Amino acid sequence: MTTTEEPQKEAASNAVDKAQYLVCAVLVAVGAFLIYDALTLEAGFAKVDPVGPKFFPLAIGIILIVLAVILAIAIPRGSVGEADAGEDVDPNSPGDWRTVGMLVGLFIAVIVLVEPLGWAITGTLLFAGAATILGSRHYIRNIVIGAALSLISFYAFYSGLGIPLPAGILDGIL
Amino acid sequence: MENLDWLIQGFEQAVTPMNLLYAVIGVLLGTAVGVLPGIGPAMTVALLLPITYNVSPSAAFIMFAGIFYGGMYGGSTTSILLNTPGESSSVITAIEGNKMAKAGRAAQALATAAIGSFVAGAIGTALLAAFAPPISKFAVTLGAPSYLAIMLFALVAVTAVLGASKLRGAISLFLGLAIGVVGIDFLTGQPRATFGLPLLSDGIDIVVIAVAIFAVGEALWVAAHLRRRPTDVIPVGRPWMGRDDWRRSWKPWLRGTAYGFPFGALPAGGAELPTFLSYITEKRLSKHKDEFGKGAIEGVAGPEAANNASAAGTLVPMLSLGLPTNATAAVMLTAFVSYGIQPGPTLFEKEPLLIWTLIASLFIGNFLLLVINLPLAPLWAKLLRTPRPYLYAGILFFATLGALAVNVQALDLALLLVFGLVGLMMRRFGLPVLPLIIGVILGPRIERQLRQSLQLGGGDWISLFKEPVAIIVYVLMAILLLMPLVLKLMHRPEETLLIVEDDKDQREKAEA
Amino acid sequence: MIVVGYSADPYGRAALEHGIEEAKLRGTTLKVINSTTGDAYADPRFARSGEVHDVEKRLADCGVEFELTQPVGVDTAEELLKAMDGHDAELLVIGIRHRTPVGKLLLGSVSQQLLLECPKPVLAVKPDDL
Repeated sequence: MTTTEEPQKEAASNAVDKAQYLVCAVLVAVGAFLIYDALTLEAGFAKVDPVGPKFFPLAIGIILIVLAVILAIAIPRGSVGEADAGEDVDPNSPGDWRTVGMLVGLFIAVIVLVEPLGWAITGTLLFAGAATILGSRHYIRNIVIGAALSLISFYAFYSGLGIPLPAGILDGIL
Repeated sequence: MENLDWLIQGFEQAVTPMNLLYAVIGVLLGTAVGVLPGIGPAMTVALLLPITYNVSPSAAFIMFAGIFYGGMYGGSTTSILLNTPGESSSVITAIEGNKMAKAGRAAQALATAAIGSFVAGAIGTALLAAFAPPISKFAVTLGAPSYLAIMLFALVAVTAVLGASKLRGAISLFLGLAIGVVGIDFLTGQPRATFGLPLLSDGIDIVVIAVAIFAVGEALWVAAHLRRRPTDVIPVGRPWMGRDDWRRSWKPWLRGTAYGFPFGALPAGGAELPTFLSYITEKRLSKHKDEFGKGAIEGVAGPEAANNASAAGTLVPMLSLGLPTNATAAVMLTAFVSYGIQPGPTLFEKEPLLIWTLIASLFIGNFLLLVINLPLAPLWAKLLRTPRPYLYAGILFFATLGALAVNVQALDLALLLVFGLVGLMMRRFGLPVLPLIIGVILGPRIERQLRQSLQLGGGDWISLFKEPVAIIVYVLMAILLLMPLVLKLMHRPEETLLIVEDDKDQREKAEA
Repeated sequence: MIVVGYSADPYGRAALEHGIEEAKLRGTTLKVINSTTGDAYADPRFARSGEVHDVEKRLADCGVEFELTQPVGVDTAEELLKAMDGHDAELLVIGIRHRTPVGKLLLGSVSQQLLLECPKPVLAVKPDDL
């Protein structure tokens, strides 16, 4: 009966998640890289090592590309990965990518600044920044907690575990 | 029995003040983390991996074991008080547990969960102590081809059985294998996929990957979807149970344990399935059937026991064969690797004291959980008042701290970010995380086994199939892969199971 | 209209009682706001269904026209100030608790913010048994 079949088809096509092509792109990129890199390797010493160092990366690379193709075919057919519905997540709302973007930006800032400015400062920045981006508006409280965590961890790692975290411009003061 | 001797020695090690301290920390941390939705034992162990660089192995594992068992317990606390499971394995507990709490019986629900967890944990750990060594002894006698087969089986099982989409499981797995390729080839010494960076010649530090995928990925994902409704917390005094409750609970505890342990021990068994099975069993066997759906204590006792027993069961393949069957076990294996300890059947031979100390501290941790958590239950409920921005900012902070501590280089932070984004991508597109981690851990080992087997077999591929165990395992693997196809053609058992689950879901939704 | 900042604790209940008295005195309506930022999993000040039921009953019994709202995901002070912006809002009633200066700095003080920023009269009350 055509009438009962059509709503089902409509529902499936509504669920087409084009963003999944991103995954395909990643798979192809990684697969291609592995294949390219493997081809630059020299073969193993055939008698002792018939498989050689090329086999694994080549096989993985090829399979990755095959998987990308399979996924690319499955996507327009409505294949959808169940987005991780963690206990704390409301999967039905569209993603708040702005927040994610800001967090990524904060992270990049930390990566760049951690060695020159030291952990004590960047750690504070990281915590206070992240808390603020995630919605906490108690700015002073965020900075205070961040500073406390950073300083405690700095000293704890140094005296307790023997790991010197970067001291940056506060070197000598701390 | 020499194993008993070892166990006693393990206890002696485990009760040293330092190790006891680690056990207490682990148990408290594990419960706290289990209570907080969104944070789990796998992520916590991952965040703590960097300390393995500076702490003795036994101390680290004692703490991780405490976190593992504690997480199970904490998860049930949230399920009962909040109707939001703290762990995915506590979903079933929430059904009856929360109803009991709403009816004013939160104390009994918590008590039966705690004591049931203790009983199951004790029995499960005892079974672990009994079974793991013989399995390991047997596994040692296996040759490289058989061991290769077993590892491949574990890969296939985790990828193809768990999770709804085999395609996505495979994608995760191969991404993980790809990551495992990075580094210097062990036989020919050539750098592979290192982008010309000498810093990558040791491969990407698995600790960084674990932290990135579990912690950063999760934090970023939650940041994209933060839910903002606080749920009711039901106030509770100290957990306790009346005589009637005890009478009704003890058999479900034992039955739950019987369900949980085998499932935990099997690759891809998991903890969700046995808790579900325990629930339907208790419902069918109960003399108080009408209470189910309104707060039947058996519906909490059984699943919670199953939950904890499955956790103990997971450790069997992990310790005896070096095969992880769930995320937390995979992360703990990472710790072994970072200590330079080769996980696998030789573990019992090479590091007996370490392993038996670990097992002894599982017993101790289990006991501590009961003793510490019963009085502290109201405190854990208070923990839920921590605002989420702080929780997730904290996760990002500790993740960064950990990654930085590994080698004190900014490159690791860049890797943390890259793989954190990969973790985010995986959560967005429903790619399961476990196959990726297992791919990273097992990939290099499988390649090594394969090439060594071939070396020993004189370069002959047939040699891979010459050992009986190998053949049996390959056959099992084939069955596992083909079963869904067969079932589809037969149209029955898989669907019925799903229908039963669906019914339950529909009824819940109607009631809620 | 009288605006009452409600929380599920003695301070909120004190505010409610005084709010009801004022509404009766002035012969006007009552708007009760019990909000939460939704940041924490468990917010003990956010009224649960049992408590909401009790509050509504109390309001219905006292014979004053009322409106009870529970906004989620908003800043409490801002929400109350917004309500006071309405041209018929005449008085804000809140319960206050004692905070040391350091406490105010670290934990924040909604009441302090309200007292300072609200352009219209604010009635700050404490529970009777303190």
